Amino acid sequence: MHGLGELEAAVMDVLWRAPEPMKVRDVLEGLDTGKQLAYTTVLTVLDNLHRKGWVQRELVGKAYQYEATTSRAEAAANALRELLNSSGDPDGVLLHFARSASEHETELLRKALPRRSRKK
Amino acid sequence: MTVAAALLVTAGLTGLLAPRQLLRLVARGADPLVPLLAWLASTVSVVTTAALAMTLLLLPDHGSHVLAGAHECWSSLEHGMAPSVEAVGGAVGLALVVGLLVRLAVVSVRGARRRARRRRDHLAVLRVTARREPGSPPTLWLDHDEPLAFSLAGTPGVVVATEGLHRRLTREQVEAVLAHERAHLNGRHHLLVAASDALSTVLPFLPLFRRAPGVVRELVELAADAAAVRTCGVETVRAALLGVSGSGTPGSALAMGRDSVQVRLDLLARPRRRPDSARSLLAYGAACTTAMVVPSVTAFVGLLALIVVACP
Repeated sequence: MHGLGELEAAVMDVLWRAPEPMKVRDVLEGLDTGKQLAYTTVLTVLDNLHRKGWVQRELVGKAYQYEATTSRAEAAANALRELLNSSGDPDGVLLHFARSASEHETELLRKALPRRSRKK
Repeated sequence: MTVAAALLVTAGLTGLLAPRQLLRLVARGADPLVPLLAWLASTVSVVTTAALAMTLLLLPDHGSHVLAGAHECWSSLEHGMAPSVEAVGGAVGLALVVGLLVRLAVVSVRGARRRARRRRDHLAVLRVTARREPGSPPTLWLDHDEPLAFSLAGTPGVVVATEGLHRRLTREQVEAVLAHERAHLNGRHHLLVAASDALSTVLPFLPLFRRAPGVVRELVELAADAAAVRTCGVETVRAALLGVSGSGTPGSALAMGRDSVQVRLDLLARPRRRPDSARSLLAYGAACTTAMVVPSVTAFVGLLALIVVACP
């Protein structure tokens, strides 16, 4: 584990697995990163995640309790939607396994194919 | 003057006629990388041939020393225009070509920046939501029911896949899908797509440039299929493609995807000689060289033929 990005993923993993909102200390205990992390580090990561909209928090007593804003599946679906929205893009950042943006060229290729193999 | 004109004509003809020939090559079941490389080399060749023509106009003897042996005939063929007219024409043409190249560079750099930004955004989201399976390139697994797979450009690029693949496909078929995506990354296919986009933006005049984005997108899919076939076998790739494309992603984009998938399935169904690497490399080299020299050679052969006919 290194880098803030990986820590964010690990913290989200803990929150997604938890049935209910967690305090910072609970998150710290739930983290299995292979090395001891400081309380303030986890607090910073949770703060970042809150700022980015991944988690919401509520003041209970004196301490904040954190929970994920969406379920893991919803988050995955959102991420996919974002990817797919841009996959028809002119930039070619993404290549999709079973989708292509060029009806016209497919038609050209199909016409170039010998008749024998064009039969369905 | 005449040499320059001949070069320009053949450059134009290449831009017009090459697409059909190259697509025919694909349909005959050639290694998809051959037409892909030939296509890109042809675009370079058309631009350089045009630039060469302009440069010849500017040279004092219009490059006629090339045809020194046919000098007498040459002078009779050369219906003289005032040298100054040719020089001006050459300068204007050359300026045009240089201008286009500069614009190509600007468009490319701008596109590269935009892609880098988009890639960063995607990765920021994926890092949190996806399970990372280390490897080269790493695979990011998203917990989602639809079987989907992408490759995200970059150095290193990443493969993005959904757990739905495991639910719909066998282990070998999933491996075929991943092999296809890795082939995109290893072959720098995103870069080829981006280059063809930039070309068609800057030079939309000839079919060779205008059609490049669509054709390159199709061809890189075929090339990645071919790579997957080499490691996983034709039947596995076919089954994986059917399994993924048949699983009802909604929206009009899919209709297109289906068409494209059908062509890929058709091509996979055709018997293909297993390429050995030495022969492939030779074919790639030959494709590039041919595409590069055909316009110039045609121009000079055409001129020689003209001379032979006109001055027996």
